[in-house]
Amino acid sequence: MATELQESRPRSTPTSSIQLKYSKDRKVGEGTYAVVYLGVQISTKRKIAIKEIKTGLFKDGLDMSAIREVKYLQELKHPNVIELIDVFSTSNNLNLVLEFLPCDLEVLIKDTSIVFKSADIKSWLLMTLRGVHHCHRNFILHRDLKPNNLLLAPDGQLKIADFGLARSLGNPNEDLSSNVVTRWYRAPELLFGAKHYTGAVDIWSVGIIFAELMLRTPYLPGKDDIDQLDVTFRALGTPTEQIWPNVSNLPQYNALRVYPPPSRQELRNRFSAATEKALDLLISMTQLDPSRRCDSTSALLHDYFLEAPRATNPNELPQKREKKKPSNEDDGTIKRRKL
Amino acid sequence: MVILEDDRSQDMCPICKTDKYLSPNMNFLVNPECYHRICESCVDRIFSLGPAPCPYQNCGKILRKNKFKQQIFDDLAIEREIDIRKKVGAIYNKTEEDFEDLKEYNKYLETIEEIIFKLNNGEDREKTEAELYKYEQEHKLEILEKNIRESQKNADAHKYKEAMERLKQEKLKVEKQHELEDLEYQKQQQQELLDVLASSNSTASAQEIIKKQRANASKRATLRKEQLQQINSQLENQFNPIYQQKLLEQQLAASKVPFTPFQGDRDLHKQYSLLPIPTEIDKLMDIEHHISDSYNDPYLNKLAKSKEYLGAGWRLTTVYERALDEAFIGLGCIIDQEKRPQKVDAV
Repeated sequence: MATELQESRPRSTPTSSIQLKYSKDRKVGEGTYAVVYLGVQISTKRKIAIKEIKTGLFKDGLDMSAIREVKYLQELKHPNVIELIDVFSTSNNLNLVLEFLPCDLEVLIKDTSIVFKSADIKSWLLMTLRGVHHCHRNFILHRDLKPNNLLLAPDGQLKIADFGLARSLGNPNEDLSSNVVTRWYRAPELLFGAKHYTGAVDIWSVGIIFAELMLRTPYLPGKDDIDQLDVTFRALGTPTEQIWPNVSNLPQYNALRVYPPPSRQELRNRFSAATEKALDLLISMTQLDPSRRCDSTSALLHDYFLEAPRATNPNELPQKREKKKPSNEDDGTIKRRKL
Repeated sequence: MVILEDDRSQDMCPICKTDKYLSPNMNFLVNPECYHRICESCVDRIFSLGPAPCPYQNCGKILRKNKFKQQIFDDLAIEREIDIRKKVGAIYNKTEEDFEDLKEYNKYLETIEEIIFKLNNGEDREKTEAELYKYEQEHKLEILEKNIRESQKNADAHKYKEAMERLKQEKLKVEKQHELEDLEYQKQQQQELLDVLASSNSTASAQEIIKKQRANASKRATLRKEQLQQINSQLENQFNPIYQQKLLEQQLAASKVPFTPFQGDRDLHKQYSLLPIPTEIDKLMDIEHHISDSYNDPYLNKLAKSKEYLGAGWRLTTVYERALDEAFIGLGCIIDQEKRPQKVDAV
């Protein structure tokens, strides 16, 4: 538990010395509230990404997600969480210096020329769960886990990024917004408008990502929020008071159509390459009732990670194919990140 | 056993009298029960509805359709012996590696031959058959195991054969490519030689030029040979099962490092222990009566009973755990041991 205190990073550095510390080489992407530059940390020659947040645009000061990102990334240091190297401000801007990560998991999932071995999937899931575990033991919910936000370092390490929606669990009576997490990865309690959810929402997202890694296509692609409910329950059964006590007390609960829960054989057919242990883990991560869903600790201790084949070493994992112009490709992947 | 003498009857089904001459597509089948030849359409007609007696006069053996097969040998005596061999071989399926020495293996083969002879020549046939059946029952597991082992071996051999085949093809491909390249190179060289000879005017230098050209060519040839060898050895490594075995061993060695789910980064020894707090829903609904010897916070108790909170997965324990974790979070750190000064703040 002590890791978060192991190193306190400089909160901000005076502007004059900034030019000496980092170089801003070229712009690689622009979003509504930030511009991303590629740069180098002068002292170590390490590649970095500088996220410059536009401040003038907002009347109420800084954008909320920028504050969140700084607030939580400063507290987390873990091999599977993106590193916030520095924060500084120039004239009117706030700049976040982040680790440079050239690829994300979504790119790999979509590249059909890459074959995923079951050991590769295990390795990515393991690294994701380790990162999530670190967030959760520091009482931080990520709330936007999806393949697009799981970035891959050149050495194969997977790092959780984009803490723009993250928050710490507040007072017990405080309401949380249920309008979080990208729709396809949104847990059923969020779809029902729950305001007092737990880390289980992140575990659900990881479970859906696990399924997506095996299927190579989104598992529950809802067209809109209502359709998402339908798609989710068609795949996993409609929750009832029996399997999820008190579900009907959630604000936006409606039973819609009642689908039966899938039998194990049905799931076996759906994930034909999955072993029985993999299915066990998937089932326990995608329990409809959040109190029955496993937490990150028990997921990491699951037998799935112990059975053969062993998780691939990160540096042996499949990587994005180099194309003729690698520089152009870098642009593409960085732009994909939410700015 | 009926052996038909003349050729005409050989081509005619004795049941339906269909002639091979008139319907050239007809096939004859025999059943190992009595080895009477019957044409395919008769088999279909008579035995489709289940077991029936052999249509030959004075035979009367009950035959089943699935046992009918095409006759391979003209001589039915041989056909019959082979069937018996197959049948006995499936039961007595040990191979030489199962015996300690050759003598015992030979003894085993001798018993097999004896059984086959007895079955084939009708000498104590029923008794031998009964013995065979008894042996099968007694050694059922052994036979099955042996079967599995054999089939695995065959599969391995098959894989090896396939890999070798692929290797051969790859080698051929490379050789062909080289040949083509060489041909082109030769042509080019010749052209160059002609050009040089045409442009130079002294006759003495002509021979020198040709010599140079030849030296060049031979140099290239040796280089080529080396290249080819290298490629071949590379390919062999790629396909050689022994090489792949090595790879596998390497992987195994790597897996001897124990797996740590948390990479050693996990707090197993909490600084506190939590007093018992109910987690079951029906106990939570009546929480005041279940925490008499535990921490009592009326405000949180009220939240713990809220159905909306319960439905969203919210539990009282997590609140207490968090409060205690945060209270004790700095206690494991010894600042002197850390390199940089710590900034201790509550989350």
